[in-house]
Amino acid sequence: MEGRSAAGRLFTGWRLWALVPVVLLALAVGGFVASGSSLVGLIGTNPPQPDAFDVRRVEFEPGEIKVRVTNPQQDDLTIASLTVDDAIVPFELDGPQTLGRLRSSTIVIPYDWVEDDPIAIGVTSSTGIETVEEIAAAVETPGFTGGSVLGYAIIGFLVGVLPVALGLLWLPSLRRADQRWLTGFMALTAGLLSFLGVEALFEAFSLQAAVPGAFGGPGLVLLGVALSYLTMTFLSARFSRAGNGALGGVALATLVAVGIGVHNFGEGLAIGTSFAFGQLTLGSFLIVGFMIHNVTEGLGIAAPAAEDGVSPSVWRLGALTAIAGVPAIFGAWTGGFVANDVLGILFFGAAAGAAFEVVAEVVRYVMRRDPDGLRSGFAVGGFLAGIAIMYATGLIAG
Amino acid sequence: MAKFTRRRLLAGAAPLVAAPVLGKLAFDGDAEAAQRTLQGHEHGHAAMGHAAMIGGQAPAVGGPNDLDELLYPPAALPHQPGRVREYTLRAIDKEIEIAPGVFFPAWTYNGTIPGPVIRATEDDILRVRFVNAGSHPHSIHFHGIHPSNMDGVFEVVRSGEEFVYEFPARPAGLHLYHCHTTPLKKHIHKGLYGAFIVDPKEPRPPARELVMVMNGYDTDGDGGNNFYTVNGRSFYYAKYPITVRRSEKVRLYLANLTEFDLINSFHLHGDFFRYQPTGTGDNWEYTDTVMQCQGQRGVLEIEFANTGRFMFHAHQSEFTDLGWMGFFNVVD
Repeated sequence: MEGRSAAGRLFTGWRLWALVPVVLLALAVGGFVASGSSLVGLIGTNPPQPDAFDVRRVEFEPGEIKVRVTNPQQDDLTIASLTVDDAIVPFELDGPQTLGRLRSSTIVIPYDWVEDDPIAIGVTSSTGIETVEEIAAAVETPGFTGGSVLGYAIIGFLVGVLPVALGLLWLPSLRRADQRWLTGFMALTAGLLSFLGVEALFEAFSLQAAVPGAFGGPGLVLLGVALSYLTMTFLSARFSRAGNGALGGVALATLVAVGIGVHNFGEGLAIGTSFAFGQLTLGSFLIVGFMIHNVTEGLGIAAPAAEDGVSPSVWRLGALTAIAGVPAIFGAWTGGFVANDVLGILFFGAAAGAAFEVVAEVVRYVMRRDPDGLRSGFAVGGFLAGIAIMYATGLIAG
Repeated sequence: MAKFTRRRLLAGAAPLVAAPVLGKLAFDGDAEAAQRTLQGHEHGHAAMGHAAMIGGQAPAVGGPNDLDELLYPPAALPHQPGRVREYTLRAIDKEIEIAPGVFFPAWTYNGTIPGPVIRATEDDILRVRFVNAGSHPHSIHFHGIHPSNMDGVFEVVRSGEEFVYEFPARPAGLHLYHCHTTPLKKHIHKGLYGAFIVDPKEPRPPARELVMVMNGYDTDGDGGNNFYTVNGRSFYYAKYPITVRRSEKVRLYLANLTEFDLINSFHLHGDFFRYQPTGTGDNWEYTDTVMQCQGQRGVLEIEFANTGRFMFHAHQSEFTDLGWMGFFNVVD
């Protein structure tokens, strides 16, 4: 008994010891902060901060422009002067004039902006540094009304739900296909998703590059990718445990649907944001492009589902469609009403992670099921065809 | 939403896109809006924005008489050859508020941009003691006729040192003085310049005399101006119109010390004026708009025919929109 309690004491002692580095670190940090700038002063004077604002959101209302700005730097940043198209304009502030780090204000500019014209908003700090935000075309920002909510929902439905449902209609044909052809279509799914993943990753990095460092280094993209990849891995493990241990059939189709759903959320987000900020003309042609592009997503879900002996129920197919397509509606709402770049980076990172995780699942599936594994001509051809189809239909969507 | 683009990128498109509010600002475009604004202004509760760049609505720094020293020149003295006119100019590094809340790290003569008005009569001996209290080497280069060792080019005055410029004031006209230390562009656009009036032997007719030095400020260091002014503060004379009398002769000494932009201009609303380039000779032009290259200057004479508020501004719309705009308030 005594031995055990001694060991227990020792264990507690080591646990306490683990706190020592934390305490010492706190002391060291406190000491450095308390010293003010005297330590840095040994090296030389600090260069001034860039004094650039982060323009988060620009909204156009009749006779009014609203600009949401954030201070991305360490030092305070003061909003001193506003220009619209290189002309000084009066403005009001909804929020503080001097912004501490990461604090935001909304600038309200009474202004008769010209519909569809390009417009440049300049926010000048007290040190005279001007941050210019260029808007490709000024269009009224949709307010949160029944009409706009419905409008975004319809856009999301058209580019997300409908094409996926149409793609799933290939299921009966696929079920009668030869195993080798099925391998080909599974590889096609992997190709589609690889394409989507690369696209989303690129989108995330280009958004990230434009955002001041304080908000999102490349690490923010990694965070999004890792979050969704690991969540999907967790889901995949749950699905395969629920089934017979190997992920295939409807379970794999569900996973593919989740991956595509995350991607479609990002797509809806991009469409909603671009539409709200006049960066994208959502003509019927573009919607048609997105629809054709996304029909292939339905095919991607149908391919693994076709592998099951029994046909999934209509309800299950409906659920798959909803999982893959409905997020586009939520994405469009988010993008249209609340989104900003930082959210966008996370979501596109998540879309990339989800796509890559599903690609990994499909690859594992093909390796297990096809006698030739990944070396099968159907697998190679299907994968390349998937990328090619995405590229070709992507041309339509522009 | 976070592309940080330097103004330079805009520069090419600026003439195309700069104009939309000008009509609103300029009063003459939208009479109804102007009327609304005037009424609002008089009642002290004008709606913000749109047509509102006048009086309390104009975003200008300071109080009503802050720039009087720069606007109203010292009186002309009668011709008296050999009389010594002494001035002291001190180069001072100073943060100057050029627009509300916008601070420009300036180099100044005597703490203002432009520097003080230097005035002498032809054949006076001008003696200017220059003290460099700034952190960089500077000089004063006067325009006019003088010996080469008084030209402000060869005798660079280091920080903490002094130099006395002494030469006869001639020829009569409106001239300039500015720092001529390299890099020239930096030393001038930081604020080291001012107006230099040499009165002729035969005095000019009595008049209400004003001085306006046109300039710009590149506050973000991209080689393009972010603010334009006369006498150093954007929209100042929109906030505080210059009161003059109808039929009284108004003599305006106008000089252009804008950097980066090759030209600047002066346009008067509702009336015409006579313009004497460089303030020399007998060649007077009758016009309502004059253009000046960097370093050009001239003398304007105006007798207002009507009372009321008359706008004056650069006829480069972009300069107007960025602060180079004001009003005469003509009264009986």
